Amino acid sequence: MLGLIKKDLLMIKSNIKTLFIILVVYGVMAYQGQMDLSFILPFMSVMIMISTFSYDAYNKWDAYASCLPNGRQNSVRAKYIATLLLIIITTAIVTILMIAIAYARTKSIDLESVFSTVLGTAFATIILQSFMYPSIYKFGVEKARIGIFIVVFGIAIVGGIIAKYIDFKPMFQVLDNLGNYWMIILPVVMILVLYLSYKISEGIYKKKEY
Amino acid sequence: MMENILEVKNLSKKYKDFELKSINFKLKKGMIMGFIGENGAGKTTTIKAILDIIKNYKGEIKIFGLDNKKNDKTIKEDIGVVLDDMFFPEILMPIDINSIMKDNYKNWDSNLFFKELSDFSLPKNKQIKTFSKGMRKKLEIVTALSHHPKLLILDEPTSGLDPIARNEVIDIFQDFIQNEECSILLSSHITTDLEHIADYITFINDGEIILSKTCDELLEEYGIVKCNESDFKKIDQKDFIKYKKNKYEYEILVENKKEFLKKYNVTTIDKLTLEDLMLLMIKGVK
Amino acid sequence: MEIIISNSSGIPIYEQIKDQIKAKIITNELHAGELLPSIRSLAKDLRCSVITTKNAYEELVKEGYVITIPAKGFYVAEINMEIAHEEQLNKIENLLDTVVIIAKSNNITREKINEILDILYEEEK
Repeated sequence: MLGLIKKDLLMIKSNIKTLFIILVVYGVMAYQGQMDLSFILPFMSVMIMISTFSYDAYNKWDAYASCLPNGRQNSVRAKYIATLLLIIITTAIVTILMIAIAYARTKSIDLESVFSTVLGTAFATIILQSFMYPSIYKFGVEKARIGIFIVVFGIAIVGGIIAKYIDFKPMFQVLDNLGNYWMIILPVVMILVLYLSYKISEGIYKKKEY
Repeated sequence: MMENILEVKNLSKKYKDFELKSINFKLKKGMIMGFIGENGAGKTTTIKAILDIIKNYKGEIKIFGLDNKKNDKTIKEDIGVVLDDMFFPEILMPIDINSIMKDNYKNWDSNLFFKELSDFSLPKNKQIKTFSKGMRKKLEIVTALSHHPKLLILDEPTSGLDPIARNEVIDIFQDFIQNEECSILLSSHITTDLEHIADYITFINDGEIILSKTCDELLEEYGIVKCNESDFKKIDQKDFIKYKKNKYEYEILVENKKEFLKKYNVTTIDKLTLEDLMLLMIKGVK
Repeated sequence: MEIIISNSSGIPIYEQIKDQIKAKIITNELHAGELLPSIRSLAKDLRCSVITTKNAYEELVKEGYVITIPAKGFYVAEINMEIAHEEQLNKIENLLDTVVIIAKSNNITREKINEILDILYEEEK
């Protein structure tokens, strides 16, 4: 299993330079106050991880991995763990940087706002991963990408149309009332969704034929 | 003592347009078996079933005396594979393969891996995608050997290699079976490679095993008789396997050329090659 | 030890190996008690299958030229030179028999055959 996680991380080795450049550029912009730094890096890491699926598919890695001891059982888990590791590391870097930039700019730290931003970021990236991975395992990277686009746009358009006729305000009111509970609700939902996504991916993977 | 390192019993698998029909064969310890047949005859499907990477096949497959499904992990520790077009993602480098594999196999031997890489003059710090087809194949073979497996399963391992590289690779295979605990199942359509080194030949055609014998028996007992039409008409149907009518002659595949020579007075009887055998078996009629 | 295998001669490879080792034993190029290469290493060096070399050795054992010691290998046996010699003479007789048949059916004289033999002997030197 360790080997398989290593494989996914080694595959993105060449992307680390890109991530670093993005970090510097956005760091400078954030320092000048033009940009919020939190999102870009964890989001990029999921996108980069998704690109490893294309390479895997191109060289039929999954079939080859199935011939390794425990390869079939551990491939999906390794992919999820490698992605999580990357999200955690990039989120940690971004958090530290955000605190540092905030301190450099204002000589004061608003920890609560930093953490709520970080939590929001982590939630969004993990939800993205959770939806993308099972669809990739089922349909392949290309179709999954298009599919997710269609779904997201679909929801936005349908939501927009519905919003014309229905007033969403009471709903947002409810959400607002939940207030500080978000710090608990978000992580719980995040873990649940991720676990569910993992189980679905694994189920799809186990049935695969090569 | 475990005699058979691999046993395939009544293996069948149905696809929409193709079917494996009750495949049976055995591979003894310390031996090389050549698995031959046309493209699409079922070689790769059989190999995939042995490795349990396809589903819903029927029959029993035992490797090292163990059921291939129930003991998947144990078995795979001791198998090395080279499969057509299936390998590490090509943005990785040989040096990455080493660090990945040493966590995957208990017996992974980094020294052996790097030694074989340099013997084959393969660079360890270049992405696989910069490799030529031949280099890639060699890398796959080196990777398959570096955890000291007891069984090598190789699907077309010499395809895409030039004669010199093929020679080097065959040397490696023969080195591998110097240890009499080790065996090889090797599919190929380049039959001359097999004629030399294979102990057994298993011939699959249209999803069916049509023969599985020692290579020596096959090449010495079977023969191809060439004769004209009038001679051909004198030959009893049961005395040959298949025949093919060419422009100037008849080619007849016989199972026992010595017996045949005793019975009939024919002019030419050729030493068989696996290629002739394959051709007549597939294209010949009865 | 030299063994030369021809893939096109039509003679089975195991027989070629057997005959050549036998010849070396008879001519004392291989001495009694000498260890022969293992089945597997011989197969590798001659680029043939393990079963082929195994067959050759088994035949040699059967004919008494080689003995096998389990877990150790194959050794050149102590052979009775007279019997071995006899066997070779037999072989020559058989081959010459064919020569005589061909010669007679084509009206080739015995002197002519002798002449050919002389030439062949000269060349072999």
